[in-house]
Amino acid sequence: MEPFEHDELTDRELDRILAEWKSPEAPARLRTALFPEESGSLWSRFWNISFRIPLPVACGLIFLLALFFWRWESRPDHPVAVSNPSELQPVKEIRPRIIRRQDAQN
Amino acid sequence: MTPKRAFDEYHQAVYSFAWRLTGRPDVAEDITQECFLVLLRSPERFDPQRGSMKVYLFAVARNLALKQYRDDRAGEPLEDSDGLVAIDPRESLDVASAVGAAVASLPRLQQEALILFEYEGVRLEEIAQIVGAEVGTVKSRLHRARERLRRMLAMYRSVEREHGTV
Repeated sequence: MEPFEHDELTDRELDRILAEWKSPEAPARLRTALFPEESGSLWSRFWNISFRIPLPVACGLIFLLALFFWRWESRPDHPVAVSNPSELQPVKEIRPRIIRRQDAQN
Repeated sequence: MTPKRAFDEYHQAVYSFAWRLTGRPDVAEDITQECFLVLLRSPERFDPQRGSMKVYLFAVARNLALKQYRDDRAGEPLEDSDGLVAIDPRESLDVASAVGAAVASLPRLQQEALILFEYEGVRLEEIAQIVGAEVGTVKSRLHRARERLRRMLAMYRSVEREHGTV
């Protein structure tokens, strides 16, 4: 068979034959490669959340936190609660001390 | 238009164009990815005054495919040549493969004009912008491409009648 022994196709025939050549779907990994933030689970996206704050604000926050902990540490101790009354010991010796006002008359 | 929206709208068209132009899925994927990376990294390169996003993306894809083509076939002319590739329908009854082979055998500039016009539905004026030629030149390339394909694929009319594959 000679390759060109046939008549030429009409426009309509050519269009129909050309339409047979279909393109495959673009791979889904293209989206992942270009927009990685769209991929991954909600949990992994949560761990990747970040935000930017100005340095003076960060310094101010650190200072306030340090101040809060310092105040917390230096506050007076609370009275110790005793759960069992038998643990209480009687005072062995009482030494009363009388404190007088300086301007008090004896 | 944001790069993400451009991707949603045009990535399939860009991939199809690159696939038909190169005939290789891996290269088409690379070209599509590179095309949108250009848009992501340098969005200022797209100037809406000069053309639509579709035109811009096809132009970038075309340049990337052309670079690939030149690397692969150094010395081969881009312009028209008289050679006509014969496709024997007895070797392959798969019409789609035959069409692909016939289009691939066209001179490069006719090939890209045909693919953009016939498969991607791009208007002649837009093709002219994409390839950087006059509308008349594009029309002429398209006409010559179709003339060649009419002859090259004529035998498939008889295959169609005999086997009903089309």
